[in-house]
Amino acid sequence: MTGGELDRDKLFAARLQAVRARPFLATALFALHVVESRRVPTMAVDRYWRCYVSPWFVDRTPVEELAGAWVHEVSHLLRDHHGRGDRFARQEGLTGPGERLRMNIAADCEINDDVYGDGLAAPEGAVWPGTLGLPEGKLMEEYLRLFRLGSRTQDFAWLDCGSGSDGLDREWDLGPDGAHGLSEQERDAVRFRVAQGITGRPGHAPRAWKRWAEEAFHPPQAWRDLLGAAVRSAVSGPGAGDDYSYGRPSRRSAGLPGVILPSLRRRPPRVSVVIDTSGSVSDAELGSALLEVSAITRAVGGRRDLVSVLSCDAAARVVHPLCRAEGIPLVGGGGTDLRTGFARALRTHPRPDVVVALTDGQTPWPSDRPACRTVVGLFDRPDRGSWVEDDPDYVPDSPPAWARVVNIG
Amino acid sequence: MPVSTLSALPTASQLDIAGALTTLLRDTTTEARPDTQLEALTLAVAADLPVLLWGEPGIGKTAALTQLADDLGLPLTTVIASVHEPSDFSGLPVVGDDPAEQGVPMAPPDWAVRLVRAGHGLLFLDELSTAPPAVQAALLRLVLERRVGALQLPPGVRIVAAANPRSSAADGWELSPPLANRFVHLQWTHDQDVVVRGLGGTWPRATLPRLRPERLGEAVDFARRAVCGLLAARPALVHRLPSGETRRGGPWPSPRSWDMTLTLIAFATAAGVSRDVLSLLVRGTVGDGPGLELLAAVDRLDLPDPETLLADPAAAVLPERGDLRQAVLDGVVAAVRNRLDRSRWDAAWTLLVRAVETGAPDLVVVPATTLAALRREEWDVPPSIEALTGVVSVSRRAEDAAARAAVATKGRR
Repeated sequence: MTGGELDRDKLFAARLQAVRARPFLATALFALHVVESRRVPTMAVDRYWRCYVSPWFVDRTPVEELAGAWVHEVSHLLRDHHGRGDRFARQEGLTGPGERLRMNIAADCEINDDVYGDGLAAPEGAVWPGTLGLPEGKLMEEYLRLFRLGSRTQDFAWLDCGSGSDGLDREWDLGPDGAHGLSEQERDAVRFRVAQGITGRPGHAPRAWKRWAEEAFHPPQAWRDLLGAAVRSAVSGPGAGDDYSYGRPSRRSAGLPGVILPSLRRRPPRVSVVIDTSGSVSDAELGSALLEVSAITRAVGGRRDLVSVLSCDAAARVVHPLCRAEGIPLVGGGGTDLRTGFARALRTHPRPDVVVALTDGQTPWPSDRPACRTVVGLFDRPDRGSWVEDDPDYVPDSPPAWARVVNIG
Repeated sequence: MPVSTLSALPTASQLDIAGALTTLLRDTTTEARPDTQLEALTLAVAADLPVLLWGEPGIGKTAALTQLADDLGLPLTTVIASVHEPSDFSGLPVVGDDPAEQGVPMAPPDWAVRLVRAGHGLLFLDELSTAPPAVQAALLRLVLERRVGALQLPPGVRIVAAANPRSSAADGWELSPPLANRFVHLQWTHDQDVVVRGLGGTWPRATLPRLRPERLGEAVDFARRAVCGLLAARPALVHRLPSGETRRGGPWPSPRSWDMTLTLIAFATAAGVSRDVLSLLVRGTVGDGPGLELLAAVDRLDLPDPETLLADPAAAVLPERGDLRQAVLDGVVAAVRNRLDRSRWDAAWTLLVRAVETGAPDLVVVPATTLAALRREEWDVPPSIEALTGVVSVSRRAEDAAARAAVATKGRR
């Protein structure tokens, strides 16, 4: 049937079924521009939201599998696989068509484990993480680190979802100047409308899509960067770190007798780290966060002896200077009351400029704002905000508004 | 000195030869290349709004400013904030004859005096993020109030500031939300292709947007319609303080930043720049979410009005893009439902038939079903509906396939 015409009615009936099965994807599915092409093996997309369709593939494939293919292809675009593929290739220094095939396979694994079912049938020969011996539910980047091309991927050498899936331009692509391409702004607008549709009516979309919608325009930032910025900003604010002070005359004062100019003074910040050692925080979490805090304070000029560490569960324990950080005994377990930790940290002399609290948030908080800057590193607990089965009324207090809160993990 | 003459001179000094080599290295050409971030910067500077360029050091912010200054015909003054003291920006105290009687005047630095004397210029405050907090505070007064000591900078002076992103700033530069709200935030990134071609000898040359005098009135009208239309429908977007650590120090919506957005839309429209430039400006002023909503609203302003389409369905031109076409058809059916009468109902069918003849049939299924449900008993089905049989069969095919898929997935589980 290679000489046949493209059966547009069949193709569009499949799109209609896809829209009915996944109404939140309607905008994106309708925004795709269909281009008939005899050079693609099945269906493929380019980064300008054109969808290349082989007439032979449409002829041979049942409508319900075509519907699955529609959703599969549009998922590549919504999830920005070409942009992510390009970034990954640049970071890792990957080149060549083999690597792009690997990206296509990894992107397919990311999509396929949650896209089918519930009214959509998987096309024949689709790649599943399981086929490659990989776990489900990972992202494209994670899959890319988990497998190499080899005997297991042999069957997928024909796989080609186009430049929209892996960032490698194909010779059949119409390119940025071709007709009916979407500009970057238009692509963002479509993705935004889809994301808004999902977050606006939660409950209709599967979990993976909700996660996508939440992160589509606000990708989660690395907690290390955020914690670093928060601690740096706390320790270098007025009153601590480098700043101008009238305590001593400026070197410029010689030229202006009778005038007092401020001079640049350095007062290294004192940092108290209060660590929640209740049973619910793991040693690995604490270790990584503590190392991070000490590295940051050292980088901004705090001498190591100015950083002290305080472990705290229901009662505050011993204060240790960070010089002995390698061997700080983190004692504790059981419940937490960070209020004692805060009180203890603020009682030390001289007073700290900054208190950094590392906790999982299952604790009461001080009711008043402490007399110093506060950064809270909050270990992520997936069930936070939900209720506990034995005690439906129990809601852990969220950190107070006066603290800068960074989610860790 | 040309290279050939140099080689003929065995006595040429090493420095002359070095000079010739440097000249050869400088000998580069330029090529025209659209540059959205430079166009966005140009418009924001033309509109005289405070711009903050966020970018890693060494990616060509200064080079971009040089080109912009050339193009606007303004002399460029670069001030590296981190090597100055606060008094350099708030004024250096000078002791007069009788300080108790006359006070201590705050003298401005030389570059400010020269700027004021010239009456115009482009002032670039670089490395804002590596300056101590007191210097940053003094600089913000300069950017926002345009004052250096006792000196008021004339309106012809345009100011641009640059800062390193939070993650790479060595110390804690951070904008508080009220300050962040006063800036147009532009993320400055480098394009690998541009750098590689530039080092190979060909640097890009961007044609900067020009404001067209004949479009000014239309531009203001368009900007007002876009912003007011969105804010009337979405009052929650008028003012929304950023929450959470991730978005701290970035753009967020408030009446002030919406006002800046309105200005920027007017400038972008008067210059006729692409939507991508507008998108950078709008998202850099009110943030990604509200910015994208505004851009979507702007896109909808471009869509044909349902009432116009219903008035003359035979001449209707529907958008080519599927999602926009579907939005228009839905709008038409909604308009008919709002004011239902026979002639409007018939006109809508004519439009749906046109849609099937000129595009994909699956888009028409939902509007046709809704429109059919609006029929009053006494109304006859219009003859044109014959053309929609294809739509019905597409719909039926999709239903059959969905039933098969349901059986298949159930079987697997």
